[in-house]
This record gives sequence, structure tokens and C-alpha cells, in this order.
Amino acid sequence: MAEERIGSETVASAEKGKMTLFRDDRQEDWGAIILATLVVALIIVLTMK
Amino acid sequence: MSDAAVSGGGSGFLQKLPGAIPGLVLIVGTMVVIRYWIEPWMSTVVLFDQKGWLVKVVHLNYILLGIIFGMIYRNVIFGGKLPNLFVDGFRLSRLFIKTGIILLGSLYTVQAIVQLGAIAIFLIGGFVILSVVMVLWLGRLFSMDRSMTGVLANACSICGVSAAIATAPAVEAKPAHVAYAVATILGFGILTMFISPFIGHALDLTDLQYGAWVGTGILNSGQVLAASLAFNPNIAPGTAVSVAEIWNIMRVISIPFAVFAVTVWYWAGAQGNGGAERKTIGQLFVEKFPVFVLGFLVMVILTSIGAFGDVGMKGGPAASATIKMLRLWMTWIFGIGLVGLGGYIDVRELAQAGGTPLKVGLIVGVTKYVLALLVVLAIRDYLVAI
Repeated sequence: MAEERIGSETVASAEKGKMTLFRDDRQEDWGAIILATLVVALIIVLTMK
Repeated sequence: MSDAAVSGGGSGFLQKLPGAIPGLVLIVGTMVVIRYWIEPWMSTVVLFDQKGWLVKVVHLNYILLGIIFGMIYRNVIFGGKLPNLFVDGFRLSRLFIKTGIILLGSLYTVQAIVQLGAIAIFLIGGFVILSVVMVLWLGRLFSMDRSMTGVLANACSICGVSAAIATAPAVEAKPAHVAYAVATILGFGILTMFISPFIGHALDLTDLQYGAWVGTGILNSGQVLAASLAFNPNIAPGTAVSVAEIWNIMRVISIPFAVFAVTVWYWAGAQGNGGAERKTIGQLFVEKFPVFVLGFLVMVILTSIGAFGDVGMKGGPAASATIKMLRLWMTWIFGIGLVGLGGYIDVRELAQAGGTPLKVGLIVGVTKYVLALLVVLAIRDYLVAI
């Protein structure tokens, strides 16, 4: 009964969406791009002379 | 960017974000304790008459400790299930890992990637094809279900979880097929994640050799990252993580092509129960392409044109303050992501992998892991340093 027991919200999840706060993988990718952009912008500001 | 990412899904994410704070505090707090207290203690404590034995002999570092702490939270402290209070925070772990991989683009220049390209494409392409062919052949030999075989083929050949899930709808796979494939490759992958650094140190591999090996031989992206940082926690051009990840990125990019190839194989031999969608390579490419890779490529281009100053390549000027801070922040971002990843590993679930899929997955996984090491050792003089 792997369908029932495996992967409610773990790495072995058959439903990967449950491992993310985003709606799906694609949105998580965009989220990572936005977060990386914010991190880079912040670092540039912090290291500006 | 898609409208959905900004509107519906985006606001959904923002609404859920406050609920993620407790889990995030636990993860970040864990990494702070590991890096400020446990790591310094490990490097000074005397065990077996040797100062820093845990670091020098066992090669424990913040990455391995982070994963272990995450696993302890789920499997020991919380009894197998994360409490609702912390679940949403742990769901941010892959976001951090993907963000870190995008930032890793600052370790490369376009020129370095072009230099590396031919041999990396040859190795990655060769191993992807070898793994797919082996699983399809073994699946036939052991009379394994065709959908199960298709899912396992891509799970073993590309990047584990993502590939299994991307392939499932195209080959009419049931949730159980995906679950078995994922549990099989993760069980094997977790083992390789922990033993690879020891093997690498025992064989006295260089960062270049080790990165090429784990980038080719380990099945899952998160585990490639963890195994390479566990071998050498430094993030800089030429370190294990910089080599392993460029290998891994090339493999991730091949997901849409591998999904298409296995779909063609499936339908070529299917017995005409046309329930699943038939898609063109164009549709599959648009749907399955991992968009965060574009962010990585933009970082490579920005680094190549000097947007962040000197990158600190070997023999060149020292890295700029921006690049140094980027690398420091990456260690934290990866550390946080990997504590979260550890929290998603349920040891009881891994025990559920079994039967023929486990047998086939292990045969292919071990073959790939060992063969990748042998090939890397055989061509070590031809590997291009970056």
C-alpha cells in the first residue's frame, strides 16, 4: 500500500508539491530567482564603498 | 515570469509565509548553533589522542551535521512526522537550495564552462544514456511493469526525484510507481551522500576528481550538493562543489530530453490503452525545463562581464568584497537548505522500497557510482580545472 503510506510530505513523497510552500516546481524556481536577485542586490549595497 | 507566479500562486505563497516562520527559526537556529558552537568545539576537542579528530578523521562539518540534525528532528525528536508548527518552514528548504545553486553561478565564467563543456557533456550524456538503457533492459529482464520501468529509468539517470515526477504522467505511472522509484533512489542516494566524502578522502581525490565523480555518479541533485560540500565545505572556483554542480546542472538540463526519450519508448511498446497524454518534445521542454537554471546562467554571465568584480580565480587577482560576501552567504543558504532536506528524510519510508524496483535501482545505482569513479580516475589527466 505504498500509495497510502509513502510520501505524505517527505522526500519520498509521490506528490512533490507537498515539499514546497509554492504551488508547483515552476513557481518555486521563480521564487528562487527572485530570492537570489534580492540577495545579490543586498550584497552589492552592503559592499558598496 | 508567468502571471501566476506573481498573482495567484505568488499571493498564496506570501499568505503562507508567516506560518513558515517557526520552522525557519528552528532551521536557522540549528545552523547557527552548528556553525558557532559545534564546529569550533569539534575542531578543538581531543578524541583518540588527536585534537580535532571529528573534523580531521571523520570529516564532520556543518553540511553533514545539518542533514543529521534535520533527520534527528523528524525521525527521533518528532517521532517520524514534523509538527504542523514547523512543517511550512521546512517546505522552504528546496527554495534555499535552488537559490544557492543560482548564486553558485558566481563561481564560473562563460570561458571556464566552455572549456569544461565537452568533457562534461560527454561524461554526463554517456552516463544518462547508460543508466536509461540499463534500467529498460533490466526492467524487461525482470518483467517489471512498463510504467514502473519508465519512471525508474529517468529517476536513476538524471536527478532522482524531479525526473521521476516529471516522467510519471507521460508513462501512465501510478503514485506507487513514483513512490517506489523515489524511495529506492533516495535510500541509495543517502548512503552515497554519507560514504562518498570518506571514499574521496581515502583515495586522496582532488576537488576536481571528486566533484566530477559525485556530479556524475550520485543520483539526486540535493545529495550531489551535500556530498560535495561534505568533502570540502569551501565555496570557491575549483572546489568540489563548483565542479560537482556544473556537472549536475548539465544533468538537470537534460530532464526534458530524457522524459521525451522514455515517453517515446513507453508508447512504442504500450498495448494501446491511450489514457495518458502524448506530448511533443517542444511541449515537454516548455513544461519541464527547470527555470532556476536560467538564473544560474544569468549569474555566470554577470560574473563573466565583471559585474561583481574579480572572482579570485587561481593565479588571478583576489576575489572582490562582493564575491567574498556572496560565497559566505551561500554557505549559510546551503546549510539552511540542507537542514530542511534532512527534515524530509523519513527512514521508515525508505524501508518501504522493495522488490524488483529496488533490485533494479540498486544494480544501476551501484554500477553508475562505481563506474563513474573508475572513469574519472582513468581520465583524471584530461579533466579541465575551472
